[in-house]
Amino acid sequence: MSAISTKGSGALESAGVLMRFCGRILGEVYSLKVMKYFGEALRQAGILILSSTIVIWSLTFIIGLQCGIEGAYFNRSVGSPAYAGVFAAWCDLRELVPYSFGYMMAAKVGTGIVAELGSMRISDEIDALEVMGVPSLTFLCSTKLLAAWMVLPFVYLSGVGAGFLASYLAVVQQIGEVSSGGYQLIFWMFQNPPDLIYSVIKGMTMATAIVLVGCYYGYNASGGPVGVGTATAKSMVLNIVLVHIIGMLGTQLFWGANPNAPIGG
Amino acid sequence: MPIEDPNTQPPVDDYQWHTGRTTEVVDPAIEFIGVKKAFGSNKVLNGLDMALPDDQISMILGPSGTGKSVCIKHIVGLLYPDDGDVLVHGESVPMMGDDQLYAMRQRCGLLFQDGALFGSMNLYDNVAFPLRQHTEKSEDEIAHIVNQRLKEVGLGNSNEKMPNELSGGMRKRAGFARALVLDPDIVMFDEPDSGLDPVRTALLCELIQEIHAENGGAYVVITHDIASARRVAEYIAVLWKGQIVESGAATDLFESANPFVRQFLSGESQGPLGME
Repeated sequence: MSAISTKGSGALESAGVLMRFCGRILGEVYSLKVMKYFGEALRQAGILILSSTIVIWSLTFIIGLQCGIEGAYFNRSVGSPAYAGVFAAWCDLRELVPYSFGYMMAAKVGTGIVAELGSMRISDEIDALEVMGVPSLTFLCSTKLLAAWMVLPFVYLSGVGAGFLASYLAVVQQIGEVSSGGYQLIFWMFQNPPDLIYSVIKGMTMATAIVLVGCYYGYNASGGPVGVGTATAKSMVLNIVLVHIIGMLGTQLFWGANPNAPIGG
Repeated sequence: MPIEDPNTQPPVDDYQWHTGRTTEVVDPAIEFIGVKKAFGSNKVLNGLDMALPDDQISMILGPSGTGKSVCIKHIVGLLYPDDGDVLVHGESVPMMGDDQLYAMRQRCGLLFQDGALFGSMNLYDNVAFPLRQHTEKSEDEIAHIVNQRLKEVGLGNSNEKMPNELSGGMRKRAGFARALVLDPDIVMFDEPDSGLDPVRTALLCELIQEIHAENGGAYVVITHDIASARRVAEYIAVLWKGQIVESGAATDLFESANPFVRQFLSGESQGPLGME
């Protein structure tokens, strides 16, 4: 019993340390101290664009195809193939594009941050930055968060577009049981601009959490290369859990009380 | 033959060789005043009192694991003492606010054991980094300084090389060049001889002496290599079990009658220092 309570208090303490660390990074960005290293933030933004955009778009495109195919066959089975756009609209915008974006962010960006910062930590590069009079937390972590906020809304919106295009191709071109006009009428009827904003908020909350968790595990890595590997694995586990929690809470918050479904008038 | 009961042996005093004999340092660059530091139950510094002179090459010597690197981390504020104070040019490091600490660090250069070069930058950018961060110099001025420093350390033709393309000795020399670009008042070296062959160690020691003669300032070298100490040290502090055994001018320390100091500085196996 006491072992369980010790473990519980240890986890609580770790969560507190993580929250405090994230608070410091957010504080550096909101207080604009990070602007002193705007050049580094731009460099990080460039890295994000070049290394992660294509893979995120590819994943959301594939997810869009799946939403389209599943939606088309489901609506055929209930005798309303013309309503395939309903499934595609909700599946893409509200759920699977945010999740696939979160998964890829966690796998590509989050682990990349842990590996980069962790290897810098164990090779004394972070200490070297500090000794040179450069605040390492601001230079390494806050710039990454700022870069993510500058770049990822556009990457996410483009990812949503890739998902929409893929669903259209699957429903209209591949399965072909509804005309282009018929599909688009229903598809756009079942979503509106606030839905898009909510979806972006979901995706960006996931991205923020992933960058912060990655920075925490990388910046505080210890124990040599094995320690960096362990930190990377831990960050992946936490990020996947957070992606699901944010996804679930987002759906509850934005569409739980009002599904925004124009059915029955 | 009777077997001796270990409980009847007189207790060994951990600090019986710590005479505290020291040469008074006038206007020291760095002072440790009763510094205690522990990591968990492991007491690394145990009331350390030490003063290192300005404008000289000082060496902190001691067996492995006695807290030499921990001393350097206290000087630059990467670690804070559990008790006591660390002064740099008379200012308390633990009492400094963030801005003051970062300003103080800009006046310090530190060569890490493996150079700690940034793996994502080539040699030129590594050395130029502090200048780009802390000065308003143009790229032409930066290029002039960086090329001069790299030439001084014998890396004038390696600007474009990445750190992983350099040997251990080259990385150390590059780290040295980077530590010098802001013309610091205090330059610290954390085991500059580790992993180097004797010839390259001698060359690095010569380089340290030459650059110190040219630039001045307080140089602090941490090592357990006695040959390096003989070559470059002007002031020596011998550290063991978190306290200074003896400290003073290098010539005095090499003539010390203290059995521990004598054993350590001559590298003999017989004496107070064992494997424990």
